[in-house]
Amino acid sequence: MENKGKRSPIRIVLPVLCILVLIVVPVIFRNPAFLQLMVLVLLYAYLTSSWNLVGGFAGVLPLGHTLFAGVGAYTSTLLFIELGLTPWIGMFVGALLAMVAGILIGLPTLKLRGAYFALSSIAFLEGMRVVTENTKVAFGVKINGPQGLLLPLKGNSLYYFQFDNKIWYYYIILIMTAIVLYITYKVSVSRLGYYLMAGGEDKEAAEALGVNVFRCKMIAMMMSTFLTAFGGTFYAQLVRYIYPRGIMNLEFAFEIAFIAIVGGRGTIAGPILGSFLLVPVAELTRIYLGGSYLGIHLAMYGLVLMLVMIFQPRGITEPLTKIYNNILDRFEGVRS
Amino acid sequence: MYLLEALITGVTMGSIYGLTALGLTLIFGVMKVINFAHGSFLMVAMFVTYWLIKLTGIDPYISLFVVVPVLFFLGFLTQRFLISPAFKGEKDVREPISVILLTSGLWIFLDAMALLLFGAFYRTVKTSHSGKTFVFGDGDLIINKTRLYGLIIALITSLILWFFLKKTRTGRAIRAVGQDRDAARLMGIDSDFIYDFTFGLGIALVGIAGVVLMPFYYVHPTVGVVFDIRAFIIVVLGGLGSIPGALIGGIIIGVVESVGAQFITATWTEGLIYLIFLLVLFFKPSGLFGYKQEW
Repeated sequence: MENKGKRSPIRIVLPVLCILVLIVVPVIFRNPAFLQLMVLVLLYAYLTSSWNLVGGFAGVLPLGHTLFAGVGAYTSTLLFIELGLTPWIGMFVGALLAMVAGILIGLPTLKLRGAYFALSSIAFLEGMRVVTENTKVAFGVKINGPQGLLLPLKGNSLYYFQFDNKIWYYYIILIMTAIVLYITYKVSVSRLGYYLMAGGEDKEAAEALGVNVFRCKMIAMMMSTFLTAFGGTFYAQLVRYIYPRGIMNLEFAFEIAFIAIVGGRGTIAGPILGSFLLVPVAELTRIYLGGSYLGIHLAMYGLVLMLVMIFQPRGITEPLTKIYNNILDRFEGVRS
Repeated sequence: MYLLEALITGVTMGSIYGLTALGLTLIFGVMKVINFAHGSFLMVAMFVTYWLIKLTGIDPYISLFVVVPVLFFLGFLTQRFLISPAFKGEKDVREPISVILLTSGLWIFLDAMALLLFGAFYRTVKTSHSGKTFVFGDGDLIINKTRLYGLIIALITSLILWFFLKKTRTGRAIRAVGQDRDAARLMGIDSDFIYDFTFGLGIALVGIAGVVLMPFYYVHPTVGVVFDIRAFIIVVLGGLGSIPGALIGGIIIGVVESVGAQFITATWTEGLIYLIFLLVLFFKPSGLFGYKQEW
């Protein structure tokens, strides 16, 4: 990393190439199953990157993050059904509500340490799921308990966030992922990012240096919950059916955390790498083996997580970055 | 009378919850590690018991002598070859997060493997004890025998564990390592072995719970989750690391659940338990019997 100052043009080759490939890929490969898989991969990449803001940088372990996706999905869907409001506005209302929920949950829990925070995040998710499952009607609004809500079909309409061709969902989630990555990058090089890293590593030392660790964690939590809710609305529009066990699902929340951790918590590329490696494998095993071998994709998640924790506790991004940098250095060595 | 019956059901079921929490609290007290795979080990214990009874027709309570050693070695080996490498990697970290992750990976892995091997069926086993009851008065008060045995076994187990930790040499070594592992090592205690042993012991305790549950409960690949989340709550309620706390916390949760179901819809009682957990976490995170620490 000696030549970090002078950025040679070769360093932007890979990122630009990746972006180009991602833009072009759905136009070339028109197979709907492939497109569906890519949308799913990007949705996971989006959700894990949002999770990463608090789970990676703030050094806490949220294991119930789908709660906020649920708030987003339910808010935009209910506004859509009851008032006919476009999900494009509804998703912002949902995100604001999720952020309020994030603040209310963060106030008592962000002070807790390691395992306690993880446990309380599970309790909040499960508690919220129980409440939703037991509510048929709230304030005159039909919640439908465990049956959940079906989104009314409006046909191909940008205004209603509904498209016949999955390609639109692909580009929307691609843009969303790009935005969340940009935010993550900005945070990681900002003062907030450094404070978060310091606070996550050693809270007392950071506080002794005058960092308000709690406040930094709270800001990270607010950003993360806000962005996660968008993912929930996207999911609702994509699947057009939401129910408590589907979206506020503990296993789903675990998957998000696992993917980010296997990829590398607190790195920008980690959640993306994790999603692109794990989600296709999980989906393909679920599709091709899931019928005769129930639960095989979850077994794979568990196994991969254990192996990574034993052999590469910081995630797979770190060694890959090292190799990548070595190759680049060699290129630059040849050139100069 | 309904209320009394609900109370008794709550106490008996709660004592079994307490039994599952006992291992969790022991492992935490010594290693400062929360074993997220605890419920999955309960599921494993129940499957071992299930197949043992199914294939050999053995009395469920005799199967204790097989299930408990099997689970002990399972726990011992898990700690030695799986957890201890990650655990040593962050010896000086105050929040050992990678161990939480490792055990949650194990949790998902074990549950999914059980699903793969045994399918998503709810299995029950009929034993000579199943369905037997004690009847008082003219059928005013009916107590399920197998649940009562559960309560008795839970109490005996807690007593033996307490006695073992207080009075025996190994028990004292375990407590010494829990208090200060470096000092304990300087006193000549093999702390690595103590960790392996403690983890094995904690899993053996959950093995007892599995055997006790099998005569009247069902086994299913994700049955552990029901008990896992309750065990976490009980351990926090009773105080992490406290043995009487685990048992009493378990009974409190059991009673809240069964008596609560008399007044509100059963599906809501689950929410009630989470509420209690969050209240304890925010107002008294050290729990009822836990000593004050910086968690």
